[in-house]
Amino acid sequence: MNASAGDGATVTVSVRVPQAEAFDVFTREIDLWWRQGPRYRIAGRRRGQLAFEPGVGGRLFETVELDAGSRVFVVGAIFAWEPPARLAFEWRGVNFKKDESTRVEVTFQSVGQSTLVTVRHSGFSALREGHPARHGLAGAAMSRMIGLWWGELLSGLREHVAAGRDAAPD
Amino acid sequence: MSRLDATFAALSDPTRRAVVELLRSEPRRAGELADALAMSPPAMSRHLRVLRESGLVEEERPHEDARVRLLRLRPEPFDELRHWIDEIERFWSGQLASFRAHAEQRARRRERDRR
Repeated sequence: MNASAGDGATVTVSVRVPQAEAFDVFTREIDLWWRQGPRYRIAGRRRGQLAFEPGVGGRLFETVELDAGSRVFVVGAIFAWEPPARLAFEWRGVNFKKDESTRVEVTFQSVGQSTLVTVRHSGFSALREGHPARHGLAGAAMSRMIGLWWGELLSGLREHVAAGRDAAPD
Repeated sequence: MSRLDATFAALSDPTRRAVVELLRSEPRRAGELADALAMSPPAMSRHLRVLRESGLVEEERPHEDARVRLLRLRPEPFDELRHWIDEIERFWSGQLASFRAHAEQRARRRERDRR
């Protein structure tokens, strides 16, 4: 199910809903399907919400409820918003420098009654030398540097291998 | 600098990525690479040094002609890169599995409500 080249990762899944619905659910309901918990969200176990602001120039951001009030973490700006076929946005870890970002492109391809959803996450090779996002297995240091969920993702790797197998398209 | 780091540093330059692309099909001489990318031999040689030091590329001398030096890719750094990319893919595989479950469950619920 996965194919990669160069500095990016590509993952595809087949979803049994029409293309337009797939795009809408992916964007409008991201908070409902994006996995919960510290592996996937800055909020961790606190309350928070993930949302896309529709349209080019909009953002993907996470709102986290802290004791001091709610705080917004921007994942990145949207640079392609082409419903129902394509969506692309910047992906920045919480400790990326201003001019550093990676890219996520999502395409929705209609196949009969289903939709092939493909995510391509690329741009890691353009990060600065020694960037923590490059240290795939650096553990604690990396989790401190680029966000909890990413670091714990790596420590919870085995679980993800199993989840990845379950995710194989029909 | 870790080896993965050296790999990324070497690949952060578009010319060096182009060299890697060219070497994927077959080993080539430095002069061929310079010609293919319209670069001066000294400029190409600087890029090749970075690629050799990172371990992405090595030199070989074919037995039939010791004067010819060919450059070719070494697979090991690409394996490490592959392993690292696998981790990112596992992250997105999990997210997309969750997306599929949500979207399909939602569609089934709507179907049921319609009946």
